[in-house]
Amino acid sequence: MKRMLLTLPERAIVRKDLRGVWHTKMVRVTVILVPLLLCFALPAFYLAIAWLAPEDQLATGDFVPFLPNGGEGMTARQMMVTLISQVLGPMFFLMIPLMVSTASAACSFVGEREHSTMETLLLAPVPLRRIFRAKVAACVLLALAAELVSLLAFSLVMAAGSLLFSSPFYFNPAWAVLVFLLAPAVTLFGVTFMVLVSGRSRSSMEAMQTSGYLVLPVILLFAGQFSGLFTLGPLLLLLVFAAVAAADAVLLSAASRAFTPEKLLKG
Amino acid sequence: MQAVLAQELSKEFSGVRALDSLTLSLPEGSVFGFLGPNGAGKTTTVKLLTGLLAPTGGRCAVLGLDPREQAERVHALCGVMTESARLYPQLSGLENLEFFGELCGMTRAAARARGGELLRRLGLGEAGKRAAGEYSTGMAQRLSLARALLARPRVLFLDEPTSGLDPESAQAVNALIGEQAGQEGVTVFLCTHQLRYAEDLCGCYGILDHGALLAQGDLAGLAKAAGRGSFAAFRLAQGETLPGCEGAGGWWRRPLACPEEMPALVRGAVAAGCSVYEARIETPTLEDVYFSFIGREEGGALL
Ligand SMILES: Nc1ncnc2c1ncn2[C@@H]1O[C@H](COP(=O)(O)OP(=O)(O)OP(=O)(O)O)[C@@H](O)[C@H]1O
Ligand SMILES: [Mg+2]
Repeated sequence: MKRMLLTLPERAIVRKDLRGVWHTKMVRVTVILVPLLLCFALPAFYLAIAWLAPEDQLATGDFVPFLPNGGEGMTARQMMVTLISQVLGPMFFLMIPLMVSTASAACSFVGEREHSTMETLLLAPVPLRRIFRAKVAACVLLALAAELVSLLAFSLVMAAGSLLFSSPFYFNPAWAVLVFLLAPAVTLFGVTFMVLVSGRSRSSMEAMQTSGYLVLPVILLFAGQFSGLFTLGPLLLLLVFAAVAAADAVLLSAASRAFTPEKLLKG
Repeated sequence: MQAVLAQELSKEFSGVRALDSLTLSLPEGSVFGFLGPNGAGKTTTVKLLTGLLAPTGGRCAVLGLDPREQAERVHALCGVMTESARLYPQLSGLENLEFFGELCGMTRAAARARGGELLRRLGLGEAGKRAAGEYSTGMAQRLSLARALLARPRVLFLDEPTSGLDPESAQAVNALIGEQAGQEGVTVFLCTHQLRYAEDLCGCYGILDHGALLAQGDLAGLAKAAGRGSFAAFRLAQGETLPGCEGAGGWWRRPLACPEEMPALVRGAVAAGCSVYEARIETPTLEDVYFSFIGREEGGALL
């Protein structure tokens, strides 16, 4: 027999959830608009500025502390491109898993309570753990898809940047850690955090608002580089990944333990 | 093996005793009517038996399985319809059934075929394509019943399946329940306030009030326990009397110990020169029995 990652009933739940989540306007907007804005429109806009503004008006001196090798041998325009690709880009990119995963989890978990469908789902002959796993998987899948699209869009903009200013392509070890480790870890964090929060929220809107707090640490982490105290290189990002992954493990087990008929059906 | 078994089953909600030491045993194939006023604990019992609630005392089993420990095995054998279990509003009626069919291990095609058939039987053939969120209360109720019946359950838990239905839909629903009940080995656990329908469908009953089971048994047994016997009743010409009977509204009645007494009573009435227009045996209805238990309880509470 072919072994599958998800059993057929679990797949049915994933399909149903993806459909339900997509059906919600707020989530659809988040999934389409946020990546478009953060990973395409904004970088493209900065790139356009770098290209159009007169070279001597680009205040590149301020960026020097967190450019590799202090930006030695770079033109002001190249510095600007590096700033977009290595400082702003990663920050924007990390917002995607966070926002999409929390939005879809709010919709999928709180929505089930809002529509009183959780009880029906619990009455199905599917073990509780599998229902939980399938619902988490649906949110993670959607977020990963949004990340992939964002990455492609960002790569497109940055490819144009390296062509225009003959600077190296943006992808480097730090980005590899970001894309393959940190982003998935943050996705899982967003989902499990939301599942735990959703227990207290009446509506998915309310749950979404709570998730706004999660964006703050990401901004602080990247904006912290402007203080000049640290630069988010691959090693530091690996460390951040380890911390998020540890938090994931804790949250996942807490969320899974809180996934009981009593807690889900109360109120 | 008993289809439904409860021993000293109790449930307390933060100080409120919703169910108090319920002991119940239903063999496979029985059609059980669970009756009681609002707040008696019927829904609580169904939720305990289907594993949605954990008992605070006692134990229960469905087909020998613990609904908490082996929830998914119990759910695979049971069809459950409760008022609080809704369907996905953004999916159509048929898509809802397809989804829940898949969760029961059916292929999508099989779930679709079975779902379509059930929807037609319940008068939702056309509405099956519409989003369930647009359904009226009665339509949603029938869709829920279709969901409960999808996987051909061996035990059917129905919590007020006909409340809020128009007479025509109620009839369709009752016909479908009756058909299930008639199938070999299918057990039906029916909570209802509609005593007439219950009397048509059920073979045995339990009467619950304030979490306590007041009586259990078939209609004859309950009537006996309630001290309600049968009566022989005669409608006579105006002005006539029948000795040994009490008259009221043109009818004359006397208690009847067994149906075999009736022919002799009719002969007696005719021999006494009465003009007998009608003669019948009046057996207590479920409603009579129900009220004698619930009424007695209320009366007792007043003393
Ligand atoms: N989740 C809950 N929390 C607190 N009390 C509850 C809860 N569910 C039920 N109860 C209480 O338990 C008692 C029994 O309720 P239940 O819903 O079982 O009654 P019922 O027989 O189904 O009534 P109805 O005919 O109105 O449906 C009631 O007093 C009710 O207030
Ligand atoms: Mg009830």
